Amino acid sequence: MTAHRHPSEETLAAYAAGALGAGPRLVVKSHLGGCSGCVEHVRAFEAIGGALLESEPFEPAPSDLLARTWALIDASPPQREPPPPSRLAPEPFPGAPQWLRRCAIGPWRFVQPGLRIAMVTPPGETEASAMLMRVSAGRRMPKHTHDGVEFTQVLSGVFYDSTGRYLTGDYIEADDEVEHQPVADEAQDCICLAAIEGRLRLTSFAGRWAQSFLGF
Amino acid sequence: MYALCGSGWGAGPVTTQPIQRVANAAQLLDWMRAVSERADREAFARLFAHFAPRLIAFFARGGLPRDSAEEVAQETMIAVWTKARLYNSAEAGVSTWIYTIARNARIDRLRREGRRSKLETEVAAEDDEGLEISGEDTLLALERDERVRAAVSGLPPEQAEVVRMSFFADKPHAEIARELGIPLGTVKSRLRLAMAKIRLAWEQEA
Repeated sequence: MTAHRHPSEETLAAYAAGALGAGPRLVVKSHLGGCSGCVEHVRAFEAIGGALLESEPFEPAPSDLLARTWALIDASPPQREPPPPSRLAPEPFPGAPQWLRRCAIGPWRFVQPGLRIAMVTPPGETEASAMLMRVSAGRRMPKHTHDGVEFTQVLSGVFYDSTGRYLTGDYIEADDEVEHQPVADEAQDCICLAAIEGRLRLTSFAGRWAQSFLGF
Repeated sequence: MYALCGSGWGAGPVTTQPIQRVANAAQLLDWMRAVSERADREAFARLFAHFAPRLIAFFARGGLPRDSAEEVAQETMIAVWTKARLYNSAEAGVSTWIYTIARNARIDRLRREGRRSKLETEVAAEDDEGLEISGEDTLLALERDERVRAAVSGLPPEQAEVVRMSFFADKPHAEIARELGIPLGTVKSRLRLAMAKIRLAWEQEA
């Protein structure tokens, strides 16, 4: 699977810097799982982090910090490795990637004909910060725009909107200048993982209703 | 051969700020391997002496109060010990690997603080599974890290500043623009220029 559309350099740098929120981080990670080119970019940005860490001013640590660190290491149970296999959630859809099944996934909820949404809580988080969207073959999403940036990874199927056509493995970022109405390809349902930094604004009537219902 | 022993940051353009390094990358690698392969406590103490002070500065720059910065630095070093076996020298230099652990420790800390009211204290480690590694050898990885390091230290001060602010302080570009009193477009173009140079250094074969 070779993706044709990738996260921006700015987003990959933010990922490497740990500056993305939990939801967008999960979406970018899902892209990295299938895109070695973007992994290389992230590696380069992480190397910048290493270089910057190396050039940090020397901020003297308390003299007993090492001793206290040993005490904590020695007091904890022997190294947990390999890490206990995380329990896997049931497949939210056939062929769902393994990383997704380590998330807590809520039930599929009906939003409007042809659109269902399930909230996704990444591992280690207590609140859902991303969502799975399942658009039935040939159906439209509600027209919407965003106060912030919407991060989307196509997990299965194909969709298109005014900005182009997006295949499985592709990644899309839409900011507040984009008002779009994605449509799933006729051949099969389209399933995406999406997260928003800022708020999603649904501009159609059905969309506004969904918004109040889902509490975006 | 790699020209990183002793010469530090000397190569390339004149650096604009004094950089303190008590160990070079090859030494760090020896220590890290000793910890990784033999759980060598002496080597860990040396890594600690090198990194703990820098980690404290790193977390403080990111906005954590001094005592929290020390705590997270400690958590980072504990993770370095417990995850040492996962360190792969072909994948990243020691500083880069520890940086990624520090980054995840900061994410965990912010997450815990965000939910402190819910009495959650578990350390939920970010797992970085899924990032496949290629089979490059350690020397290439070391050289690549060193090239990136040289490129970062050779950045003009105004570019280095925005890179540092966006990387370490987690600041959105708009906030950087406000703090520096420059237009947003300038922040973005400086970052772009800086990133292009660094990417070139990353991709260039030795």
